[in-house]
Amino acid sequence: MFSNLEFFLVEAFRSFYRGALMSLVAVGTISVSLVIFGLFVLLVLNLGNVVGTVSSKMDIAAFVEKDISLEQAGQLQLALTKIPGVERVEYISKTEAWRKFKSEFGEKLELDDVVVNNPLPETFNIKVRTPDTLSSVAKQIANIEAIDEVRYSGKYVDQMRTLMDAIRIGGAALVILISFATLLIVVNTIRLTVIARETDIYIMKLVGATDTFVKWPFLIEGVMLGVLGGLIAFLVLKLSYDAISFRLVQALPFVPLIGDQRILTLVYIVMVLGGTALGMLGAHISVSKVLKTEV
Amino acid sequence: MIELINVAKSYPNGIDVLFNININIGKEEFVFLVGPSGAGKTTLMKLLYRDETPSAGKVIVDKVNVADLDVKQIPYLRRNIGVIFQDYKLLPRRTVFENVAFALRVTGAPRSTIRRKVMQALELVGMLGRANAFPDELSGGEKQRACIARAIVNNPPILLADEPTGNLDPTTSWDIIQLLDKINKRNTTVVVATHNKSIVDDMKRRVIALENGRVVRDQQLGGYSQ
Repeated sequence: MFSNLEFFLVEAFRSFYRGALMSLVAVGTISVSLVIFGLFVLLVLNLGNVVGTVSSKMDIAAFVEKDISLEQAGQLQLALTKIPGVERVEYISKTEAWRKFKSEFGEKLELDDVVVNNPLPETFNIKVRTPDTLSSVAKQIANIEAIDEVRYSGKYVDQMRTLMDAIRIGGAALVILISFATLLIVVNTIRLTVIARETDIYIMKLVGATDTFVKWPFLIEGVMLGVLGGLIAFLVLKLSYDAISFRLVQALPFVPLIGDQRILTLVYIVMVLGGTALGMLGAHISVSKVLKTEV
Repeated sequence: MIELINVAKSYPNGIDVLFNININIGKEEFVFLVGPSGAGKTTLMKLLYRDETPSAGKVIVDKVNVADLDVKQIPYLRRNIGVIFQDYKLLPRRTVFENVAFALRVTGAPRSTIRRKVMQALELVGMLGRANAFPDELSGGEKQRACIARAIVNNPPILLADEPTGNLDPTTSWDIIQLLDKINKRNTTVVVATHNKSIVDDMKRRVIALENGRVVRDQQLGGYSQ
């Protein structure tokens, strides 16, 4: 095997530059497919991020009408925190709420003169871990006896949730579909380079080459095409994403784009690896087809 | 060395090519396979190196029935059978040396062995001086010599030649046949399918004549026609 490695590498490189035009077509095809694939993945990730960010800003407000002691408030807060899915519970006392209200609206009015009794309720602001659990957590809170009223933007949240599910499922389906389309294109492009060397394959088999032996140089060539295509796609995608996100952040600063380099690097690595796998798989499928028809 | 027992061959399109062929070729024999085009010579040759499988009968090469050979074993069979063709089938973008070395590379032979054996084979066929030439730069006779070098570089016990002189002028044809004779004398069984009447008549070797897919004559020291 290792004594043959040099031969396989030489054969792969030779085939690559002898069929330079075809190789370029294959590399180009892989790049274009991967760029489309990558753009789509980034689009789906960013949409998910936007929806996720918006949803995560939603919280539940629970109100208690009657006065409660600080101790009671602490017990209630603890009980609320214990509900599964709750991330954080913030307690705003009646007095504090009144102070806030006054500082916001009451500067010009002597509110204390008009209002004798503080009309605001005791409030708990509850943050959930994932927006998906918002309505179920809200229902559980409503079941607590001391709580008089629960408010959350239920319908809106449910719509967001549906939208996010749709993006996730539709996105995954589309990514799979694009992967298949890419594979098909790559298989067919590499098949052209294989068909161009059908005579070589026939002669190799006539002089006693095993199928594995015939396959190796093509697999190496496929990997070369895939890595090259993947790297080009990576460069194109990185440059265009950086440029687009730079402008978008300037134009619409409130849109939460993914800027986490770890996630982006992961996407890029997956792309290059994906290109490599595509090249190798494409070469394997193409050569196997030719080998089956040759005796 | 080669034995065909009740061999028949029909192609999937329904055309029958060979009928009830019985041939026995001994070790180190030199045999001419003659007959008009379409008589089944090429198909018979292909059965020997498993480029085709028979529809019926046994094709025994070196004690093995190649008709039942597992697909994975075919490469190893072919390493023991050298084949040369009318159209040479040389790889166009490789030098003579590389073309001949190819047959050894596929066996995974080490580089030093490859070099030594290729040089020996090229010397035997008189092509040492053309080792670095590409097939395009060779005459027909030189191409056939390169093809023969490739076929024998593995020292196979059997050499099959399908119309080796089909594209060559009479003098060159004669040179090629002399070369095959020389290889036969180095303990190789040689089977030559040919149309070339004068060569068959002059060589006076065993002649097997095929007509319409049947053996019509099998004669020691025979001529092209009876």
